[in-house]
Amino acid sequence: MSQHRLERSEQKLAMLLLIPSFLVIFLIAFYPLGSVFVTSFTNRTFASSVETETVGFDNYRKLLSLKIMKLEPIFDPDTGLQAIDDFSGEPAYQDPIDLLPRDPFRYKPLREFDLFGTRYVYAATDPKFIQSIEDTLFFTLTSVILETIFGMMIALIMIKNFPGRGGLRVAMLVPWAIPTAVSSRMWEWMFASTRVGVFNVIAQWMGYTDGQFPFLTDASTQIWAMIAIDVWKTTPFMALLLMAGLQTIPMEVYEAAYIDGCGAIRRFTKITMPLVKHTLLVALVFRTLDALRVFDLFQIVFAQKRYSMASFSYYQLIDNKMMGYSSAASVVIFFIILFFILLYTKISGGIQND
Amino acid sequence: MINKKSKLAGQIIFWLLIVVMFIYLVFPFYWTIVTSLKTENQLIMTPATFIPRDPVTKDISITFQNYGAVFRNDTFVRGIMNSAIVSFSVTVLALVFGSFGAFALGKLRFRGRTFSLYLILSMTMFPQISVLTGLYAVIRALSIPARTSMILSYMLFTLPFTIWVMTSFFKKLPDSLLQAANVDGATSFQAFYMVLLPLTVPAMVTTGLLAFIAAWNEYLFALTFTSIQSSARTVPVAMALFSGEIARQEPFGEIMAASVIVTLPLLVLVYIFQKRLVEGLTAGAVKG
Repeated sequence: MSQHRLERSEQKLAMLLLIPSFLVIFLIAFYPLGSVFVTSFTNRTFASSVETETVGFDNYRKLLSLKIMKLEPIFDPDTGLQAIDDFSGEPAYQDPIDLLPRDPFRYKPLREFDLFGTRYVYAATDPKFIQSIEDTLFFTLTSVILETIFGMMIALIMIKNFPGRGGLRVAMLVPWAIPTAVSSRMWEWMFASTRVGVFNVIAQWMGYTDGQFPFLTDASTQIWAMIAIDVWKTTPFMALLLMAGLQTIPMEVYEAAYIDGCGAIRRFTKITMPLVKHTLLVALVFRTLDALRVFDLFQIVFAQKRYSMASFSYYQLIDNKMMGYSSAASVVIFFIILFFILLYTKISGGIQND
Repeated sequence: MINKKSKLAGQIIFWLLIVVMFIYLVFPFYWTIVTSLKTENQLIMTPATFIPRDPVTKDISITFQNYGAVFRNDTFVRGIMNSAIVSFSVTVLALVFGSFGAFALGKLRFRGRTFSLYLILSMTMFPQISVLTGLYAVIRALSIPARTSMILSYMLFTLPFTIWVMTSFFKKLPDSLLQAANVDGATSFQAFYMVLLPLTVPAMVTTGLLAFIAAWNEYLFALTFTSIQSSARTVPVAMALFSGEIARQEPFGEIMAASVIVTLPLLVLVYIFQKRLVEGLTAGAVKG
């Protein structure tokens, strides 16, 4: 068989083998995904007879408009010094509400901060969505990093031969096997703000709290609680994938390195990491993607107290019936995910060349 | 002598790590089991007890009433059947389609390879909720029955995952295997299922398990697609609809009992397949 004909037959076989997958994509993904894009440019309402109009980029403008503005200090007319707010005892500045533009969408302050002695206000037309982006990004970065570290540790232990390995492998998958709908409720129960919850029992034993700490309502611990649940739940996913990747490294490579006097750390960085790189990349892509789309965890534990990007989109659709707006939020999520995937492939030197 | 000592220290650290890991992974499940064995009164005891105890006498007291209630619930029992059918079909389809696609993407040379990989991935880059309405419209338009529509729609998240993971494994297999098979007169497809596929068993078991569990636990699609055909409800939907037979408020004990029952078959599956995670690869066959 000539080289040319071989290539042609490979091309044909590849197309044949990909047909089932493309058929599935065409059947279940093409229309739904396309309609999300189209709907995001309209003011379509969900489950109602209100007429739909095209609104251009309005949804996106409302979702993503940000502004940082300088706040002028208020001076006490008697002393000529900056006035002190009676309420908080802090130096007073003008009210951001007076300053921020109202047309075409009203800006609402997200937070204030000081830089080089000047007070600024950071405002958005939809502070809830911007907050959800910040929270989801923080949640994603922190939990994916922790999951990768723990997952790698567990995978390295699990490929060793030791008594009871089978049982431990089962134990390893327990968190992933429990439905999220259930495990989030379980953790919610464990994080309960009284000593019904096991964390408050333990925290009190250790003398950290009085057994009444509101882990899930205190803004500073909310996202950390979510990270704790997610790391627990998805580390097994990471570990299992990495384990499968580690299995493909032939033992001989390690033996040769050992004989050549390579230390454990050098063996890890010079042999394990390069050989497991591709599996790690795939695992990272899917974990990041899932973390950025996180929904059930936030929806079950927080409902509308604090949003992830996906649960924001959910409530815009289900509660506010704003289908166009919700679709635009989903498209934003899509592009954030796309950005991360391109970043990974760029850093790792591409999917094609190993 | 020093070597022996440091080896012992290494052993101790190794087992210590295993113990810490084990507690971290299993404790919430242990807590689920304990909770499922408590009565409503025991649930609201403060401080919470690590084994079910009587609120007054502090003696150990275990109840199986939650389990009884769960098994008397027809929707739940039928839900287990439905979940098994749906998850099994999803896994088989994802593995067959996925390994076909992954072989093409990982080992064959053709134009549009990278594009195909990203196209496949892009179907899972939207939050589930946003594709739900469009998907529902497609299913109604083609009048696909509930179970089939769940099987098809779960492909949205299982297929890209299977293809990507399997592709990375096919890529690692040396090209020489394929060439050798071609020289021996095998077609590329024969080389695929007789030579290469058996070598990817660890990857298939891994992705198969992860896909099965993802399908078993899926909630949002299942809730929507079974809304008009309640006989097709899967376990997570059945559990969400628990109104509680014993508890007057939220049937937390029953939900926990149900989740123990739902998780056990998965653990049995993992136990059966975990040996295959290692045995699939014989180092000799992959030498370049």
